[in-house]
Amino acid sequence: MVEIFRSAVNIVSALAIPLFILVFLGWGFAKKVKVYEVFVEGAKDGFNTAVKIIPYLVAMLFGIGIFRASGAMDFVVALLSPATNLIGMPAEVLPLGLLRPLSGSGSMGLMTELMKTHGPDSFIGVLASTMFGSSETTFYILAVYFGSVGIKTTRHALPAGLIADLFGMLGAVFIVRILFGV
Amino acid sequence: MLNYVWIALILIGVFTAAGRDANDEIVNTYRNNIPLTSTLEITKKNTSLHPSFEGFLHIPAATFNQFYNIASTQSDVRQPVVISTLASGKIKMELPIGDQSPIFWQEMARAAGGKEKLEADVSSFSIDEKASTQQIIFTLEKVSFVKIKAVTKAAIEYADVAVTISLGLIGVMALWLGIMKVGETAGLLQLLTKLMTPITKRLFPDVPPDHPAVGAMIMNMAANMLGLNNAATPLGLKAMEELNKINPKAGTATNAMCTFLVINTSGLTLIPATAIAIRAGLGSADPGIIIGTSIFGAGCATIAGLISVKILQRLPRYKKAMEVTEGEANNG
Repeated sequence: MVEIFRSAVNIVSALAIPLFILVFLGWGFAKKVKVYEVFVEGAKDGFNTAVKIIPYLVAMLFGIGIFRASGAMDFVVALLSPATNLIGMPAEVLPLGLLRPLSGSGSMGLMTELMKTHGPDSFIGVLASTMFGSSETTFYILAVYFGSVGIKTTRHALPAGLIADLFGMLGAVFIVRILFGV
Repeated sequence: MLNYVWIALILIGVFTAAGRDANDEIVNTYRNNIPLTSTLEITKKNTSLHPSFEGFLHIPAATFNQFYNIASTQSDVRQPVVISTLASGKIKMELPIGDQSPIFWQEMARAAGGKEKLEADVSSFSIDEKASTQQIIFTLEKVSFVKIKAVTKAAIEYADVAVTISLGLIGVMALWLGIMKVGETAGLLQLLTKLMTPITKRLFPDVPPDHPAVGAMIMNMAANMLGLNNAATPLGLKAMEELNKINPKAGTATNAMCTFLVINTSGLTLIPATAIAIRAGLGSADPGIIIGTSIFGAGCATIAGLISVKILQRLPRYKKAMEVTEGEANNG
């Protein structure tokens, strides 16, 4: 069942982009749109958007970089570990949960490390990869998406995003404990 | 809130680094000025006016751990070294640090200025020894301010990474913006938008249901579901641009923008491709076993995110941030 679902999604994913390009450009051509000219007209904004993101992303990544390099994460882990023990979350995966919203490449390295140490099919291995697979790099997305349109006052986006991350982590612990728990 | 989180990351980072370095100085974590005794195996000898030697240091893991008061070294140390005698009669030793070196020494080499070697003063060593192994006593170079140096390096490196990432988006951005423009001109995007109206008018009540932003948001969510990251970001940024056109207050995130962002950060995807690929690479018996659990986890995140975004937007402090005062109206 899972196999069928997986191969179906894989096929759709592989075909999605070519199909999408074909339908959009083909439809445009059929509707007598000057496809090449209109495409170039739209593509022109690509450079400006990318450049507009730079200051926002520099600010965000530089702050995250300092925090990570200082080793302050160890203290946060020590501070939070009593709470995570209470919900049955192994102490080993707590750093991953904390790093996930901050750094995509960093949390990927941590997840790989955890699976190398404990085995990919162990409880910790499955939990770590589930936690990684069920979340996104909140701070990065915030900087890029808001940065591209010059949003500086982010209002409730960050608290809501972090609440989502927290519940994603709790959900992952809950389901992995039920299905693969010790 | 972002202001507080951001400054907290930086302040906590700098203070932690400074505190850890002060602690390292006090307990002498890196054993500055303390000589270490070990066995030296000489494999190559260059006899000239100033003879030099190549060989390996052999230190049992237990001795190494005891010397540095750590527990991280599992296997016995076998560290290549180059010993040279100087005209002044001093003997210097160079330790090229690579993957085979103890992790503790790798950290020390990084801290000693990012070089791939450590240097040492040798205090006891016999040049004329005939046997291939002998005892050697040496003192490694001083290592201090490890964390502060790491913080400085990270600050500059990450600023660089930010620019690389941003500029790397130019190509895919241009491609998807071009395709979207064609879809928009041909009326296809509007058609798609109409189909999804029942869902989108609930999620984004402030956005007119036939607005081009809705089409871009739908495409972004579809790309995210399918795990097409290269397409999802440009489409999301296109959606942001459209949402910003109906933003009454430039520079401030609207309710719709926050909702859209939370959907993206919750990371709901049908196939968590990166995690599965890494699992397969590490020899998992069933790499895809996390598909169901990941969908469940991301589902929890998405639902919690949507509920909190709808509750939080009613809070007075966030409502107030959206009020348009004279002279602040959107001019772009």
